[in-house]
Amino acid sequence: MNRSILAILALFSASTAFAAPPVKGDAKKGEVIANQVCAACHGPDGNGTNPPNPDYPKLAGIQPEYLFKQLKDFAVGKRKNDIMSAMVANLSMDDLANLALYFSAQKNTPGVSSNPELLESGKKFYADGNPDQGVPACAGCHLPNGAGTSAYPHVAGQHASYVFQQLKRFASGERDNDRGLVMQSLSMRMTEQEMKAVSEYVTSLK
Amino acid sequence: MKKAFLISLSLSLVALSSAHATPPTQPKAPGIESPDYAWDEQSSEEAQMLKMKGDVAQGKIAYQGCQGCHKPDASGLPDGTYPQLAGQHTTVLIKQMSDVREGRRDNPKMFPFAGKHVVDTQEVADIAAYLNSLPLPGHNDKGPGSDLVRGKMLYERDCVSCHGEHGEGNAEKFYPVTNGQHYRYMVRQIVTIRDGSRRNAYPKMVKVVKNYSVSDIGAVADYMSRMELPAKAEK
Repeated sequence: MNRSILAILALFSASTAFAAPPVKGDAKKGEVIANQVCAACHGPDGNGTNPPNPDYPKLAGIQPEYLFKQLKDFAVGKRKNDIMSAMVANLSMDDLANLALYFSAQKNTPGVSSNPELLESGKKFYADGNPDQGVPACAGCHLPNGAGTSAYPHVAGQHASYVFQQLKRFASGERDNDRGLVMQSLSMRMTEQEMKAVSEYVTSLK
Repeated sequence: MKKAFLISLSLSLVALSSAHATPPTQPKAPGIESPDYAWDEQSSEEAQMLKMKGDVAQGKIAYQGCQGCHKPDASGLPDGTYPQLAGQHTTVLIKQMSDVREGRRDNPKMFPFAGKHVVDTQEVADIAAYLNSLPLPGHNDKGPGSDLVRGKMLYERDCVSCHGEHGEGNAEKFYPVTNGQHYRYMVRQIVTIRDGSRRNAYPKMVKVVKNYSVSDIGAVADYMSRMELPAKAEK
């Protein structure tokens, strides 16, 4: 009983805190931790590995509010990932804020599409969504250039394989820390082909 | 008493927490098919939202979750899938969002993006204020233009008393602005209102369009899609 109340409170705090406050901290301190803890997988500048690995997303240039929220979610188990939970277990909230600021300040390198034949249909889906299925256009929240907004993350240049994997996880409910269930609601209405195509387009955005 | 309350509370909590794993489905509230249906009766949440002062700047931020479908200028889609919303009355926007949130207007596509789990009451008021502040985009879908004389006749006979000379509606009475709305959206809505599947319809309007044929609906929607606002018309 008490546990379910706590769970509910956690859910509400997760889903109603839309306008995230600005992240405060010190990117320099973040850089030290990044080099010790994060660089092996995410690259020293947060641009991931080469070749891209779907488990190690790019972090460079993503809004600090988004990065900080994800790190906190890993820390408390709202976003489930065995590697990340272990990585953040020994870090303080200040460390997480510093990391978010550091990676956010790095320059995002362009992504490379390995399936250019999907770019055209991916572009169309990104711009229009799928009105018949009630899938909103990605561009609505993430903006036409993929830069995102204060409330929705930067996606341009992200590894296609990571985007695809996350869409699949949102669709299955395996990842459920999205704002107001928006990503779960729309990804479950997407076909795998649409997910593939839009992932390729996202990685090609600069 | 207390025990029963606790049981029902924990049941509702279980329902809520399991709703988190998969996106929630829209509730179903009594609508026009229900004998004691009052089309403009306000739920407590709706009344609360109507009283709130919407903040245009906050509304612009909250609208980010809407513009994937309704577009950044709120012009929707010309094919009628998504309506034009710019310049709409705040009362109409709040009523319709409330009806979707509470299940009086069936819209399983919109619900996951407008439900209570996504936007709070203040955000609904803010979004309404923001949309109301936007200029009419002026590029709406129009009909074939082949039956405008009949469309005008029908509009002036049946519609003008509520929707106004220029399609300006009536904020106080929850009558929408139809000026600048997409032709194909209006056709779709009039058909669903006529046939009873738009369950939050105004019974008086249902009566008005009950005997409309598809060509009547097309003609009047075509005429409405071409209305111009006078230079200094009030919204």
